[in-house]
Amino acid sequence: MTSEKMLGSQVKHLLSNLSDHGTQHLTEVETDLVQTSFLLGEAIEKLGASFMAIHEAITAQQEAIDLLLSGAKPTPEIAEQIKAKHSEIGKHVSAAVTGLQFQDMTSQLIGRTVARVTGLRDVLGGIGSGSSTISENNAEEIISTLNSINKVLEEQSVKLESALWKAVCQTHMESGDIELF
Amino acid sequence: MAKTILAVDDSGSLRQMVVFSLRAAGYQVTEAVDGQDGLDKAKGQVFDLVLTDQNMPRMDGLTLIRSLRGLPTYQKVPILMLTTESSDEMKNKGRAAGANGWLVKPFDPQRLTEVVRKVIG
Repeated sequence: MTSEKMLGSQVKHLLSNLSDHGTQHLTEVETDLVQTSFLLGEAIEKLGASFMAIHEAITAQQEAIDLLLSGAKPTPEIAEQIKAKHSEIGKHVSAAVTGLQFQDMTSQLIGRTVARVTGLRDVLGGIGSGSSTISENNAEEIISTLNSINKVLEEQSVKLESALWKAVCQTHMESGDIELF
Repeated sequence: MAKTILAVDDSGSLRQMVVFSLRAAGYQVTEAVDGQDGLDKAKGQVFDLVLTDQNMPRMDGLTLIRSLRGLPTYQKVPILMLTTESSDEMKNKGRAAGANGWLVKPFDPQRLTEVVRKVIG
């Protein structure tokens, strides 16, 4: 193979590698951000609904108490109403507790995104550093340097991928499965 | 006397939710910020139940479980995982390490309390 062909092959390999690995990491970043957005949106919606429901239940409970304070005779109906509202508040607080756990999941997803972006920046930085050492006159040296850059790019990309296990696959803020062994 | 639970999680907000839910059900809950902190606290006191996350700095949940199972005082103490991890692969690793159950986040306080009650009363 002539030097020109080898040079062309290495450049082609580098561009292809850069495109493949860059696309792969950025696609993962995109997926994580979309998932984060879903979780945040759903959490806010659920927390808002719980907040309003708790407010309504407390208002109804207060009305029953005010009625008693104004001298009304405590009836089984009023007692039942207060008890029912208490139970309703507990149910909505539980829903809010589930919704509030969004921070744990989204922070893991954001952490993974940050690690991937930082890793990709390091990969691109490595390519920049490698390219600065390329000789402008010697084809053999250029081929050798491009070959090294390609290897570093592949190694760093694989290393980054293996360090980024995806621990959060949830796309909804519903409570998860329970399994006793 | 209230049953004691060690809640291990690196997320402060998640620990807060666990403590809120279990204290309301009458349990005495101690918090640990990661696996290493959990192990240190478990060595100082034998809890009735350990509830741990998986992905944490310094020491993860599976390593914590293996370390606890290596202690004579923790060979029979129930240990539950409470984690975002939901794959069968991870559940099998948990079971092999010595976990007694696997709860996927987010948790519902009532269901968490029911499970804890079922396990330690």
